[in-house]
Amino acid sequence: MTVARASLRLIDRGDLLAALDRAAAGKVTIISAPAGSGKTSLLRAWADRPGQTDRLAVVQVQRDQQDAQQFWLALISAVRDASGTTSGEPPAATPDFNAPAMVDRVLSELADARDGITLVIDDVHELHSQEALAQLTRLLNSLPPNAHAILTTRRDLRLRLQQLRLTGELAEIRAADLRFAERETRELLDASGITLSEAGAALLHQRTEGWAAGLRLAAISLAGHPDPERFVAEFSGSDRTVAEYLIAEMLERQPADVQDLLLRTSLLDRVNGELADLLTGRAGSEQILLSLEDANAFVVSLNPERTWFRYHHLFADLLRLELRRTLPEEVPVLHRRAAGWFTLHGQIVNAIRHTQAAGDWADAARLLADHSFSLTLDGQAQTMQALLRAFPPGADQPELALVRAMGDLAQGRLDEAAAYLAVAETYAETAPPERQRRLQVAVASLRLSLARRRGHLAGVIEQARFLASPVTGKSDEDIALDSDLRAVALMNLGTAEAWTLGLPDAPDAERHLREGADLARQIGRPYLEVGCLAQLGFASLVLHSYATTQRRCREAIALAERHGWGAEPVIAPALIMLAGTMLWTGEFDEGERWLQRTRQALETDTGPDIMLLLRQTAGLLHAGRGRNHEALEEFGAAEYLGSQLADSQALATRTTRWLLATQARLGMTGHARALLEALDDERASSGEIRNTLAVICLAEGDPAAALDAVADVLDGTASVLGYVTVMEAHLLAGLAYRELGDRPAANQAAESALALAEADRLVLPFAMTGSAELLEALPRHETAHAALLAEILDVLHGLSPAAKEQSALSPAEELSPGELRVLRYLPTNLSRPEIASELSVSLNTVSTHVRSIYSKLQVRDRSSAVQRARELRLLAAGRTR
Amino acid sequence: MDPTPDRFAIRIHGHLGATVLSAFPALMSRRHGADTVLTGLLDRSALYGVLAEIEALGLDLVEVRCLTSQRKSPESGDRRSL
Repeated sequence: MTVARASLRLIDRGDLLAALDRAAAGKVTIISAPAGSGKTSLLRAWADRPGQTDRLAVVQVQRDQQDAQQFWLALISAVRDASGTTSGEPPAATPDFNAPAMVDRVLSELADARDGITLVIDDVHELHSQEALAQLTRLLNSLPPNAHAILTTRRDLRLRLQQLRLTGELAEIRAADLRFAERETRELLDASGITLSEAGAALLHQRTEGWAAGLRLAAISLAGHPDPERFVAEFSGSDRTVAEYLIAEMLERQPADVQDLLLRTSLLDRVNGELADLLTGRAGSEQILLSLEDANAFVVSLNPERTWFRYHHLFADLLRLELRRTLPEEVPVLHRRAAGWFTLHGQIVNAIRHTQAAGDWADAARLLADHSFSLTLDGQAQTMQALLRAFPPGADQPELALVRAMGDLAQGRLDEAAAYLAVAETYAETAPPERQRRLQVAVASLRLSLARRRGHLAGVIEQARFLASPVTGKSDEDIALDSDLRAVALMNLGTAEAWTLGLPDAPDAERHLREGADLARQIGRPYLEVGCLAQLGFASLVLHSYATTQRRCREAIALAERHGWGAEPVIAPALIMLAGTMLWTGEFDEGERWLQRTRQALETDTGPDIMLLLRQTAGLLHAGRGRNHEALEEFGAAEYLGSQLADSQALATRTTRWLLATQARLGMTGHARALLEALDDERASSGEIRNTLAVICLAEGDPAAALDAVADVLDGTASVLGYVTVMEAHLLAGLAYRELGDRPAANQAAESALALAEADRLVLPFAMTGSAELLEALPRHETAHAALLAEILDVLHGLSPAAKEQSALSPAEELSPGELRVLRYLPTNLSRPEIASELSVSLNTVSTHVRSIYSKLQVRDRSSAVQRARELRLLAAGRTR
Repeated sequence: MDPTPDRFAIRIHGHLGATVLSAFPALMSRRHGADTVLTGLLDRSALYGVLAEIEALGLDLVEVRCLTSQRKSPESGDRRSL
């Protein structure tokens, strides 16, 4: 909302404005005073004062706001409006709301605003979210130098602002400051065209004690009163409370249709002409609202077009009491009509509130259940839980089981979620046919997400396959609801399929996730699109190359970043997969950065399976760098997480092999053997575990047994998860042959591993198996993979601490892509003509590049060029881009 | 905190009319000079609910007194105030 222009009847309270001006020069100003003290009027007058240069970001806290995300979304969009930010997507609601990240974003938007910016937060006492208040404290304590904040509240806030107070950066304006002076009372009367004697004005001031709301109400009744002196005398002689007396007086002086409108619409938080017509049964309400706003300060428009209005809270509360007292039988009827209007206009939260207020609990429950997925996607999960709390205890509605299950699932209370899902499922069977399907889709969708969190995917996917077929709703509203539901269902189904990590499920996973992403884009649900694409990136490696997987992950991450979700749980699957693939292709530093970001994304939401993957990937990073102790710790943690997952065999087997191999490399062969023997036959005969056995045998100094172990993998009889296992078997065989002194066989094994590594340019298996010497011994004229070999050796050597000390080239000295391509052949024994033919360019081009390389690296010959390039790590860079 | 309701007397400046009184259906009201005293059995959450209502309606709260509690307030001897 923006600050509407000041009402004509507001007088210029120069002293007060100056006081606020002085206060607002500090970091934070709090205006703390009871209802009707004129807090909001003061803010409006201050905002409109001449010479006002600051940009204002104004937020009105909604009544009884229990939803932290709604509050912060309103705040950041006010800040963006005020600072004219156009960069990036506007913040979107998300089911994974991360309040600290949101505050960081607000702070950076504030810091980016070029000029001074003042944050105005009105009615902070309505904020009933501990989380939001805690983060608000942080925001106020860390405002950038160009930003200020003004808060209004009816009571002192529980914000921890001692530091600001101590440094004199916190100012307060309280009820006594806001009270009208007698002189100001006089000015207000004059400005309103009221003629009253000095004595009358003094009496009025005394009776109202300078209370702003009292004076304004009195002024409304006095304007056009035939005998103002008598009015004041009667008011003064009455013992009634000021507000009640004056509101009764003021109402009485209004025409009947205006009185009726005010009473009937008092139960709305916001009103427009159409709604008011509906509640009064008469046309022309908008005109009445407009003239009421012009005439007094108790009706204010909420938008510049002046189509939505709200009543002053104190005024509305008294009107509501009067409505309940005088027209009690009308109250539920009015709520029902309002609910109908809000439903029709897609304002579901308001519709549910009024349905509850009408006492139509079953209808309210149905509305809430039907919209539970959409509301979650709208980022209103906390509002939903607040609505849930408003149902009377005891008489529970079976519809609500679904909503309770969602809340429990989001909070990680899995057993409670399962129990509510069972209730919801039973209820769905008895539901009317037109709703049955929707409820069943919702239940199945939640079951999938519960199963994933528990790692119990077996059997659940089969039961949920029906989710893949479309639901056809009748009305537009049904279609919208069902699209949300279907997009979530496709994401959950595809995700569950992806996490089985099995080849048979992979094409289904990919199809469902792709379909889910497309649908999400069509219906404007970026969160779901990002979710589907992140899982798609994660699922990609089963069917596609490392390069394709990296590309998909990067695309998903780019979309997430546009919405500010670059480090949120929703994108974690793509982050971890990108980190993993970088490790496999030997880009350890880059991989480590993505791993770090995955950790950040998983701080707020952790599923056991993705945590396992995180530990596993961290273990691979350490193993690749030869830090086996650290690797052992990560693999050990991953193994433990795997034991908590009932049936993620594929993930668990991967961990076990790395855990045992790392133990063996650290000389803990006895440990490794004992664990190996505990495996069942099926796992023990898998290619991955055969390789692990070979690692143990090599560590025990028994190369012949190692060769024996990998024989099944090399002849294709053992089942393998992918070609990497075969590659690893070749390397282990090569190491065994080397031990046995069989150089030709060792070379051949190394060459076979290189041949397999070529397609994805994999480096990690060479690093993990410790194959540097094996590769170095391979004569350059015997390999068809000279460039890859040089690259791998470069990474392996780059791991030694000595090579870590590197200096970067200045931009002018940076090598061009063509030069880099040639550079990579310099460590090989290929001649210039041979390099030219490998690269399909002319000899001349190669020679030009070589000269340029020498000059940029400041060297005179090929061997020192190679050495310098290794120091600068140029040989390993840019492979995958 | 004592979970059983206590009898409270809540004094508000001014006379409350029928409209405002309808906000306190659980309390008895009685005029006392220029003030109104509301009395009734309230547990703590009901008491804070009443205080919130008083705040929302902009009423001038003068005093809140517990009439039944056995606990003695240290500074005010025989007066059992909150």
